[in-house]
Amino acid sequence: MTMDCESVRRTLGAWLDGEVSEKESREIRAHVEACPSCRAERSRLERLQFVLRAALKEGASKVTFESFWHGIERRISQGRVRHREFWDWLRPVILPRRLAWAIPVTVVCVLAVLFAEQFFFGLGWGPRSNVAAVESIDGHGFNLALLRESETKTTVIWLFEDEEEDEPAPEAASTDASL
Amino acid sequence: MNRLQKLPRLTLLCSLLLVGLSAPLGAAEKAPQGLHLRIGTILASNESEDFDPKLSRMKNQLEVIKYSSYRLIKEEVQKVQWRVNAVFEVPGGRSLVILPQEYRNQRLALKVRLLQGDKPLVDTTVRLRNRGYFLLGGPAHEGGVLILSIFAMTP
Amino acid sequence: MEPSDWELVRKCQTGDVGAFQELAAKYYQKVFMVILGILNHREDALEIAQETFYRAFRKIREFRGGSTFYTWLYRIAVNQCIDFQRRQRRAPAEVREAIDELLYERGEHGTDPYDALEGKEVMSRLLAALNDLTPDHKAVIVLRAVEGLSYKEISEILGCSEGTVMSRLHYARKKLQEKLAHFL
Repeated sequence: MTMDCESVRRTLGAWLDGEVSEKESREIRAHVEACPSCRAERSRLERLQFVLRAALKEGASKVTFESFWHGIERRISQGRVRHREFWDWLRPVILPRRLAWAIPVTVVCVLAVLFAEQFFFGLGWGPRSNVAAVESIDGHGFNLALLRESETKTTVIWLFEDEEEDEPAPEAASTDASL
Repeated sequence: MNRLQKLPRLTLLCSLLLVGLSAPLGAAEKAPQGLHLRIGTILASNESEDFDPKLSRMKNQLEVIKYSSYRLIKEEVQKVQWRVNAVFEVPGGRSLVILPQEYRNQRLALKVRLLQGDKPLVDTTVRLRNRGYFLLGGPAHEGGVLILSIFAMTP
Repeated sequence: MEPSDWELVRKCQTGDVGAFQELAAKYYQKVFMVILGILNHREDALEIAQETFYRAFRKIREFRGGSTFYTWLYRIAVNQCIDFQRRQRRAPAEVREAIDELLYERGEHGTDPYDALEGKEVMSRLLAALNDLTPDHKAVIVLRAVEGLSYKEISEILGCSEGTVMSRLHYARKKLQEKLAHFL
């Protein structure tokens, strides 16, 4: 089957990238070899790729590895120093010889338990989740679905306007039976 | 190091923990003046594989719905008062009416109604966290479906 | 994955900084090229490239060999670029926060009038045209150009389907060709 120019141009990039099937590749190659316009298009794409790579390579060539590594090494050292300083600061408080900290920490824990609702509201971790509690719902004769996306618990209310249409039903990544 | 030298560190740590726990309590009791509602109208379809970059933050949530392309058609923001209806126009002769009911424990209660002309399609009362959102989707439009993202926050 | 990369990674996971330095020497230029293509700002790209390797160093123990080392590294690089651009564009008006993602500054980048060589002018215009693409489109075209990664590898790095990679590449190339019609 011979391909037309429009079909070839749509897949020319993928063909040059080696991402089409063998059959398609043969058809595209046959067309390109016979069609001056598509051949020119191929040349333009190849040149674009070449120039882009050259431009980025030129930009990157001025950076030596020594100076680049120096920046990484500095970050590693700073990270280790900050880490050590923080633990040096905290260690005497959490690992004392005597349990002088026990009373204030106990008070704090009791308060945390008493006010836990501020942080754990509904399902999941309150401030970090997007849980919306649906307190009431009426579809006025239409079918409805309640979904909950699993990562952030975002609530999705879905209305099926006309069940006779071929519109595919949304598939949920996870559904929450408690809805 | 003696007990006296350790004291400021210990005091600081405990004070921070106490403040952190009590701050939400203080905030919860103060009723805000009105709220901001932002409604995004998204067209989902299987006609292409384009994903509107403006919707990147919601990508995981939208991909639950398993369409191949998503495009933000429009976005509207209104500042509304409590117990006053806010009306948003939705393509296809529809409208979305939101009535903010109350704010309690950092949760906003909204009564939401989607209408086709004068005919109600969905009525729901939703309680969501401040600066949270939920999605309401399904109405057919231009070969795909509309998804409304309803975001609310206190000023 | 090449055995040599895996051996170096294993050494890094035991705390061998020298082994990490070898990995960095091998990949720093290509990572920098990708980031430069996405950010189009040399100093920022250098900063983000170094940060990428630093984060890779900190997270190296989490690397289990499920992908190649370089796709894992590029994933960190692309995420760093996205985070960087988000920080740059964050607007004080909070009502725009939840839905609207990135507002792109569309400016015309003029060429340096002292760039006498035609080649340099093409490159300069190309980078300017590249900058007008969205980050998603920039990422695919740069990853393909710099590293010749397959669509499968690019899809793993960006967390999208191969079909999306193909359509974004097609779109990005079309846009660049339109802007550089007289030069290519």
